[in-house]
Amino acid sequence: MARLTRRRLLQAGATASVAGIPLAATAQSPAPRRGGTVTVALVQAPPSLDAQLTSAQVARDINLHMYETLYARDENAGVVPDLAQGADVSKDGMTYVFALRPGVKFHNGKTMDAKDVVASLERFRKIGLASILLSGVDTMEASGPLEVTVRLKKVQSNFLDTLSSPGTPLAIYPAEEAVKDPKDFKFIGTGPMKFVEYAPDSHATLERFADYVPNPNYTKRDGFAGRKEMFIDRAIFRFMPESGARTAAIKTGEVLINETTDGPTAKQLGGDPSVQVLKLLPFALQIAKFNHSQAPCDDVNFRRAVTACLNAEETMEIAFPDIYKLDGGLVYGYSPYYTKAGTELYNQNNQAKAKEFLAKSKYKGETLTFIVDNTRPPMDTATDLKEQLGQIGIKIDIKVADWPTVSTLGFKPEGWHFWTHGLGIEPYEGPAKLMSIWANGISQTKDDPNIDKLYADLLAELDMDKRKAIFAQFQTYMYENAVVIPLGNYGMFQVVSSKIKNFVPYRIPRLWGTWLEA
Amino acid sequence: MGHFIVRRLLISVPVLVLVSLMSFAVIWLVPGDPAAVFLDASATPQQLAQVRHQLGLDEPFHLQMLAWYGRILHGDLGRSILLNRSVTAAIIERLPVTLSLTALSLVFAVVMGVVAGLLAAMRHGGWADQSIMVLALIGLSVPEFWLGLMLIFAFAVRLHWFPAGNFVPINESFAGWWQSMALPAFTLAAVQMGFIARMTRSAMLEVLHQDFIRTANSKGLPWSVVVTKHGLPNALVPILTVIGIVTGGLLGGAVVVEQVFSLPGVGRLVIGAVLSRDFPVIQGTLLFVAVIYLLINLIVDVLYAVVDPRVRLE
Repeated sequence: MARLTRRRLLQAGATASVAGIPLAATAQSPAPRRGGTVTVALVQAPPSLDAQLTSAQVARDINLHMYETLYARDENAGVVPDLAQGADVSKDGMTYVFALRPGVKFHNGKTMDAKDVVASLERFRKIGLASILLSGVDTMEASGPLEVTVRLKKVQSNFLDTLSSPGTPLAIYPAEEAVKDPKDFKFIGTGPMKFVEYAPDSHATLERFADYVPNPNYTKRDGFAGRKEMFIDRAIFRFMPESGARTAAIKTGEVLINETTDGPTAKQLGGDPSVQVLKLLPFALQIAKFNHSQAPCDDVNFRRAVTACLNAEETMEIAFPDIYKLDGGLVYGYSPYYTKAGTELYNQNNQAKAKEFLAKSKYKGETLTFIVDNTRPPMDTATDLKEQLGQIGIKIDIKVADWPTVSTLGFKPEGWHFWTHGLGIEPYEGPAKLMSIWANGISQTKDDPNIDKLYADLLAELDMDKRKAIFAQFQTYMYENAVVIPLGNYGMFQVVSSKIKNFVPYRIPRLWGTWLEA
Repeated sequence: MGHFIVRRLLISVPVLVLVSLMSFAVIWLVPGDPAAVFLDASATPQQLAQVRHQLGLDEPFHLQMLAWYGRILHGDLGRSILLNRSVTAAIIERLPVTLSLTALSLVFAVVMGVVAGLLAAMRHGGWADQSIMVLALIGLSVPEFWLGLMLIFAFAVRLHWFPAGNFVPINESFAGWWQSMALPAFTLAAVQMGFIARMTRSAMLEVLHQDFIRTANSKGLPWSVVVTKHGLPNALVPILTVIGIVTGGLLGGAVVVEQVFSLPGVGRLVIGAVLSRDFPVIQGTLLFVAVIYLLINLIVDVLYAVVDPRVRLE
């Protein structure tokens, strides 16, 4: 068996670039100081504080301070052990034996053991929002007090990716909580903060878990894993949907971290010495999808005409001023899988070539439907794409609706031709998650056997280098066949009080490792 | 009076049936699928179907409607899809915030609106009348979200007199509650204040030109007594009507104000539910708010009867 430890995984991802994540922390203080309360403004209330039952970003912001997973993602989204010490994987890739970290305490004082892990994973498989993630698991058993053995039905090379996904975290709960009806579940985890209170639509309060023992296998904070040392005593996550109110609250000092603000406000706050404006870039990949079930988007020449025409820089500058990065990669630049393969066809801005493809295509001058949700950047994206495509004679009608309406329509094979939105967590989680969006024709609404085969190959391949090669093939295929239009990475502005020290923007407003000035 | 109230209650029944039907129809009329809210861009149609099944959204229309009526007749408004708790509990948790916001706004709107309207009527044609009417017009015209943000900027950011939106329950601290509610209540009251002031002025002007006022004046009664004892009671019926309408308007306006001031009330619940297509919450709150409206109308009608015996006799 090959032992998959943190070191091996890190070596595998040694080529990762750290440039993608802004590592510029807030001003350093000479020594961390313990104590104090930090209030964080979030844009909405979480649907649930039961981590296994929600995939909402805002829930993650709170929950990943309370709960931990067997494996987690490091600063560059690499898969590293968290509650597990490591995993022994059988040569056939079908059996994983996880050694658990000893001495891990739950917030109720109990020490975590293998039974808790099995009960939590079984709960996820039964009622977890993303229960499909464990559909490839055959059996799970506590093979020792601190050992869990998982057998898969077939090889699944992304199994550890799945276990470490922050999307809908496979959080480990005490066994006695895991078997309860979800409505009776108490919010008990192993994380560095524990639950205090939840006031619906108002706030959630967490406090430092005094018995938390930071993972001794790490020396520093590292993504969702690493050494999670809490210096702050208490955190209040306030749900403030109105951007102006969040800005006012950070100006008055009622709030010390504003999860996100818009560009003009970020500029305005730039000269205020009481706050720091930080960039989290990349946060998402903006794409424009084609509906391959609808003519003329079923015609590769038409799709190539569109991709040849587009000036992604113009679109990103309009939709995400000051907070975008031109990058044709389908995963973020810091991923070990990042590749430039096929990106010579990114951001072509070549109208002559576009017209040639258009002349060979099925397009006959009809008006095509572009669906988009009613938030500003996607609407700006759609408007600019309409303008650009209008220059080569493609007529577009933009239909705006709210997200539930658009996302319902966008998975149907009729009623739309183009759809633009961001992909946040998928490029972060890596190739398997990213490719799953187009596998089985989900996003393009029509099966593509070539994509399905590449996806199946990736899941069956255990060798990292070969998986990288498969992903490069996939990315090339996506560009050459204009399956989708990648427009670039965008980020978000975060506003942090100058009183907060050592804060580094990440995918959640991470509080461990930060402290308040004296 | 008892018969009058019973008659009014009976009239409310068909209205409630109609509203409950409309509440149920929401799920079929509004585009968008609550199941989609649970899933991300990589969801398969099978996953979508699975979530729809879990939420009971794949049941036939008539079965869903029967289940809906069965539940509401037992006082059960259903279970929230996203909050994973009963709709009744979700509403009750948030009701004190909305009720206290509405009540405080109503006090602001009625007291300031009636006083301003009376003053304008008494100084008819003068600078006080003109100024009050201009202010009332401004109050009526300014959008609540804009006024709320301006008040936050002035009184929270600049002057530090009030918080920018941190709600404190009244049972925790009255002073804290007052501080957290003053700006939102004033914002909410501003529009209705203008409305009440204009209505009070016009009702009073009409009454002040009546013969009995002239008689009271000619008896040598002081003007303040003429206005408060003879004028105002006779102008009350139209003012009461307006207050009834205004209370409904305040409940509606609370949705915007709660959003701006981050108040955890029923309005926030509704907005969240609409944006995520949490149909049981939308249906439940729609029905609940309809009942509140009916109750307000009933109270106003009873007050008519108290103020004006002719209404009772009709």
